[in-house]
Amino acid sequence: MRLASLGVALAALAAGTTRGEAQGLVPAAGISIVSARVRGTDQLAGTALGGQGALVLGRLELALSYVQGTLDPEGASGPGHDLVEGAALLGVRPAPWLRLAVGPHARSYTLTGGTPLRWVFWELRARASGAFVGSAGRGYVELWRALSASVNAPESFDHAQGGEAGMVVHLSRAPLELRLGYRIEHAVLGGGTRLETVDGMVIGVGFAGR
Amino acid sequence: MRSHFAWIALLVCGWSAAAAQGAAQAAGSPFAEGIRAYQNLDFDQAATLLRRDLARASSAASSASERAQGLVYLGAADLFRGRRDSAVAVFRRLVQLDPRFRPDRLVFPPEVTGVFDSVRVDTRAVVLVTPPDTQISAGTGAFTFWVVASAFQTVEVTLRYQDGAPFRTLYAGPMGDSLHVQWDGLDAAGQLPPVSRVLLRVASRAPTGELTGIVQLPLDVRIVHVDTLPWPKPPATAVFLPERSDSRPALRALLGGLLLATTVAALPSVVGGDRPSGSRLIVAGTVGFAGAVGYVLHRPGRPLAANIQANQALRARWQQSVAAAKAENVRRRDDVHLAVHAGEPTAIKPSVR
Repeated sequence: MRLASLGVALAALAAGTTRGEAQGLVPAAGISIVSARVRGTDQLAGTALGGQGALVLGRLELALSYVQGTLDPEGASGPGHDLVEGAALLGVRPAPWLRLAVGPHARSYTLTGGTPLRWVFWELRARASGAFVGSAGRGYVELWRALSASVNAPESFDHAQGGEAGMVVHLSRAPLELRLGYRIEHAVLGGGTRLETVDGMVIGVGFAGR
Repeated sequence: MRSHFAWIALLVCGWSAAAAQGAAQAAGSPFAEGIRAYQNLDFDQAATLLRRDLARASSAASSASERAQGLVYLGAADLFRGRRDSAVAVFRRLVQLDPRFRPDRLVFPPEVTGVFDSVRVDTRAVVLVTPPDTQISAGTGAFTFWVVASAFQTVEVTLRYQDGAPFRTLYAGPMGDSLHVQWDGLDAAGQLPPVSRVLLRVASRAPTGELTGIVQLPLDVRIVHVDTLPWPKPPATAVFLPERSDSRPALRALLGGLLLATTVAALPSVVGGDRPSGSRLIVAGTVGFAGAVGYVLHRPGRPLAANIQANQALRARWQQSVAAAKAENVRRRDDVHLAVHAGEPTAIKPSVR
């Protein structure tokens, strides 16, 4: 119910802000190398390759991302475990420097014992960005919180939140941008009896339509 | 017999039409009484009245066309009175008064118009048709006027000083019924007139070379200098862009990088992570380094090439407009205008020459 209300509010905001703006679709896409580390019942670390894309219409934005890689047990030898992660976010920009978005975010990785752990979060995200080195270097900070979640763990979901911060450098002579960021997500289950933290560095290159 | 009636009827109709037109011409004319007597075929009375009225009109302010009308009726009346010599003398006065005058062939019979035409051909009179006020560009422009003649003749069109000394010859040669003459505003040496008044003189000659008449009118000339353009004002100081950077971009890069690096490093504390990885320190360090590089790149006092170039283009445009104004002023200083005012023409008897 809370999700539905939030979606309606975002849609109304997007409709209001895009009215009268006769802008076409502006695409953006990029690929990233993500170093991921999982701290929970298991200690896993590895590298994943990701891709993301976005379509911007006026102040409305639809963003998709997908990451896939292999995690290895830290400090021990053993077979690698797959990590798959994806998100679909519908966002709106009430101000040029601010984006609000909502959507599902799913993650799956296999624990050492062979049990797959699947997470599905419904997230509300807020992202602020601004230029700090001329007009080419922009910094960004994004925070999110799970409005609801489902996980195939015996403990009940308590809460989850995360964030990402870094910078994007726009190349002056090409519609390319380089991205460097750090992200971290922290989930609490069973009233704190189980903690899951995923963090890592993101290095990406992207194409920006504007 | 029937054809005789037809001729009489035609003559009566023509006479009535001519009489009606003559009456219309005479209405309001100072020569109305004489014209009416002429129309009543009382030629003696008409000649007496027209001579009286012409004597009055020469001293009164009657127009040349009115006097010409009186003269043509007087000449016709004299002709019908059998005074051909007197009629010729009257028609000669008429041609000298207005060489373009032609008797109305609906009003006057061929006897009258034939005598008038022979007098016109022999008289050789001219008139000058000039604009009252003209302004010309001396040397390149032209003061134009017409010389209208009663008949084919040889003329000399000259400009003279007031004492009669020659100033410039404009035309010498034969002419038909009219001649278009131009004067460029300069004297024979190509210089501006050193005086404020010159005389435009037209001398008519018979085919034998005999001087038959002179018409001249005064031309008041005044040298007019065209106003020069003011120089364009230089661009206002506010229009120029700053050519050196101020401290804001540098401070923004330094402080922005510092703040962002701190945020990256403190993100696990905000989110609540468990033993975060050291990669955040790599990212924070890189962001901080980028801020420091940005400070160096945007250091205060750094020359701003784009702004310098834009300001140079602005100054160049202003200097070009100044150069254009200077060139235009040089052209205007060289382009001297001459204002010409034409006075009233006077006829001079050849013996006075």
